[in-house]
Amino acid sequence: MSSVLRAIWDNTYGLLVDDGQLAIGAIAALAITWLVAQMSDETVRENAGWLLLVLVLALVLANLYRAGRNARRAAQPAVASGGDDT
Amino acid sequence: MDLTMLAIAATPSFIASAVEFVEATTIVLAVGITRGWRAPLVGTALSVVTLAAIVATLGVTLVTVVPEHLLLGIVGTLLLLFGLRWLRKAVLRFAGIVAVHDEDEIYRREVASLRERGLRRTEWDWVGMAIAYKAVLLEGIEVAFIVISFGARGVSAMTAAIWGAVAAGVIVTAVAAALRAPLTAVPENWMKFGVGAMLTSFGVFWFGEGVGAEWPGDAVSIPVILGAILVTSWVAVQLLRGLLPEGAHVEARNV
Repeated sequence: MSSVLRAIWDNTYGLLVDDGQLAIGAIAALAITWLVAQMSDETVRENAGWLLLVLVLALVLANLYRAGRNARRAAQPAVASGGDDT
Repeated sequence: MDLTMLAIAATPSFIASAVEFVEATTIVLAVGITRGWRAPLVGTALSVVTLAAIVATLGVTLVTVVPEHLLLGIVGTLLLLFGLRWLRKAVLRFAGIVAVHDEDEIYRREVASLRERGLRRTEWDWVGMAIAYKAVLLEGIEVAFIVISFGARGVSAMTAAIWGAVAAGVIVTAVAAALRAPLTAVPENWMKFGVGAMLTSFGVFWFGEGVGAEWPGDAVSIPVILGAILVTSWVAVQLLRGLLPEGAHVEARNV
């Protein structure tokens, strides 16, 4: 039974989360938007959607930039030694 | 059913489902051609029944039990997480950091693996049935998730989302049955990129509505949000291409 529940959890988690930092960043962006909408006046709340959009766009760029830098770091030794010779 | 509802619920459901059905069809084809058709077709049918039960149970519960503002928040959160995941993967593939999904390679690998296992013709092919069931269920859960998310706004939205998914299933299955080969010509990464951007846009839109935001022109804002996400993603692809050394090949799991 526990293995079935584990498999269901793993599949559900995998459905939504590919990169942990991206998922945490998305949850943080949603939480910030919710907090701003709850704690601000009517005008700010009406524009909270745009705040969420800006946060999501910044998150996408930052996460992909980090992925690119990791990829470059991983690629450099192979390029320095004459490319992919596998 | 009005055209806006059809566009909002059925189109993303159709495109996303088509991507998933292409992947599931590759495995079912490999099983059918290698081990015979009866068992994988039964596995596929059982999987479709399971998925229909998931959509009916979760979909009806969401639409009837959860209050609207909370529903928008939940669906917005799920769509955003799901959409960002697809978008990230598609951008990394366009930039050359992650290998593009190769249906032909997957098909060949699956056929080789199935041939190695062998088959006694007198017995019911439990292995073939299980592989087909699992493949269709795993890919189909993503379809079910999308249908439930887009259909959560009401009965007509749910109907449109279901029809979008069913139409994708019928078309992909018909083409694969006619060709009897994996659908390698489908521009899978472009579709994943588009759907990822669409899901992310709807996630932002609905979560915003859920917390009380007012979008100018209501649904008219969705194309603006989508445009911003597409432009940012294109910038990200260019940025990543510039970051990688010339001729670099990087393992997907290292990013």
